[in-house]
Amino acid sequence: MDAGRLFYIVVSGVLVNNFIMSRFLGICPFLGVSKRVETALSMGIAVTFVMGMASVVTYVVQYALLEPLGLEYLQTIAYILVIATLVQFVEMVIQKTSPTLYQALGIYLPLITTNCAVLGVTLLNMQYQYNLLESLVNGIAGALGFTLAIVLFAAIREQMDFAPIPESMKGFPIALVSAGLMSLAFLGFQGLVK
Amino acid sequence: MRDILNLGFKLLLITAVAALALGVVNAITREPIKAQIEKMDAQGRIAVFSEDTEFIELDADKIKAMSADYAMVSQAFQAKEGGQVSGYAIKTMPSGYGGAIELTVGISTDGTLTGIYVGNNSETPGLGAKASEPKFKDQFKGKKVDTPLEVIKSGQANDNQVQAISGATITSRAVTEGVNTAMKLYSEVLSNDNDVQQLLVREGGQ
Amino acid sequence: MKGVIKDFINGLWNENPIFRLVVGMCPTLAVTTNAINGVAMGLAASFVLVGSNAMISAMRNFISPKIRMPAFVVVIASFVTIVGMVMKAFLPELDRALGIFIPLIVVNCIIMARAEAFASKQPVVNSIADGLGMGLGFTLALVILGSIREILGNGSIFGINLFGASYEPALLLIMPPGAFMALGLLIGLINYLTRKPKDNEEKEGSH
Repeated sequence: MDAGRLFYIVVSGVLVNNFIMSRFLGICPFLGVSKRVETALSMGIAVTFVMGMASVVTYVVQYALLEPLGLEYLQTIAYILVIATLVQFVEMVIQKTSPTLYQALGIYLPLITTNCAVLGVTLLNMQYQYNLLESLVNGIAGALGFTLAIVLFAAIREQMDFAPIPESMKGFPIALVSAGLMSLAFLGFQGLVK
Repeated sequence: MRDILNLGFKLLLITAVAALALGVVNAITREPIKAQIEKMDAQGRIAVFSEDTEFIELDADKIKAMSADYAMVSQAFQAKEGGQVSGYAIKTMPSGYGGAIELTVGISTDGTLTGIYVGNNSETPGLGAKASEPKFKDQFKGKKVDTPLEVIKSGQANDNQVQAISGATITSRAVTEGVNTAMKLYSEVLSNDNDVQQLLVREGGQ
Repeated sequence: MKGVIKDFINGLWNENPIFRLVVGMCPTLAVTTNAINGVAMGLAASFVLVGSNAMISAMRNFISPKIRMPAFVVVIASFVTIVGMVMKAFLPELDRALGIFIPLIVVNCIIMARAEAFASKQPVVNSIADGLGMGLGFTLALVILGSIREILGNGSIFGINLFGASYEPALLLIMPPGAFMALGLLIGLINYLTRKPKDNEEKEGSH
């Protein structure tokens, strides 16, 4: 509960155990929606929103529903349905309340259901036995780490359009190699927190 | 309206069949899973003592309540051989690079480590996961409990030092921290028979 | 029958999910620190793929388009849960090595994509062949990548030491950066080896 532990979760989620660079969660959107910085940022914001909410809702589902009923084995199925419903709900709310925001984020929202970072963070919250506040902080920190990585990566890829890349390496291969170099940089954060 | 009912009914049917199938599989696998978990736990204790050792569980919640230093202690057992108390098996959960490491530490009543067992962990294979290999873990065997251990990266390790696994200093430190916690628990609490009596789950329970 | 074989081969190589379509990246990068994990992950995903493909294909006239997504998710998640329980009960070591990537098979893009693009339109036998082909194609890719990383990064293959104690392994390969780089270079190499002289237009897949 203390602030130190929360700070640890934030630093760990954003930098040390970055969801993309060291945990390999959310690679699909990382490679798919990172051609331009602007779209990458929109995706990041949408994911942050959903991951924060999903962390709270799955916490409630786990401890108010699954555990009292002895249905822990339905965890995966329950979580994915929660996330799918949540994404749908968020989409509807944004559409009604802010058409501008909807225009910016709308097309990314359905993609978030199959983003493993979202299901991943909810499973990790349970694995680490975080409480409600820690789960929420972990969800948001993880998503911020995701956003940081995807925006930085998009900036690199924008520059790559001008580079003479061998034919066979164009597209995904060079993107993966660049991601590897980025991940190497992130390794430097190792040991920042114990 | 009829359409919605129809769709709802179909979804309900699919979900019901799925739930039924999962319930059946769960019923079949529940016992084996439980047995596997118990086997894993017992494996650690047996590894640091022996097959014939009798283990009596101590109240880990009371241990945790004693001091914040013992927060990572998850289980503790008194080991008895031939009716005599021969030592203690203490399970700690230090956080390594990829999450908690399940670590069982064996301490004999003469104040030396009988060995450590690195169980369930999410350390990187080939790096941190090497903590469970003899080259690293056997260094702890025979260490005295009175001085905390240190991790060194190079050079010759002396009596209260252990060599880090190359490329996995965080894991090495985490394991050592778990061992130090167990040693502290032994020297400050478990070496005192009166304190142990308080912790015995059956006899000492209030 | 010929069609069935074609559907099988298709996933195995022509449309190999990893090397050709570049989908399902998360488990590919995460679990391939050694070859055995690659085999286990691949087979677990194959089981789910074959099961969900067969089930969805059998129900393709029953599931109306409107409820298609939730229905697919329930079917896939059920199979994933079964795999998870069976592995916990009988292969606990592998289960722990793969960790949360077992439940995460649910959101593996390959499985949803095959349900949507193939199984919901084709007969059961073809769907099973497709699932099997895609699953084994995925496994093949994981094993190749896992072997490369294990040999170079740990000096062993399937846990068997290859070069003796004097070999200083390239640890980078089993750390996260190595995963990205090895896969990127591997796909690049396959592109290079299989390029057609005239057909230079690279199709960039999407997930």
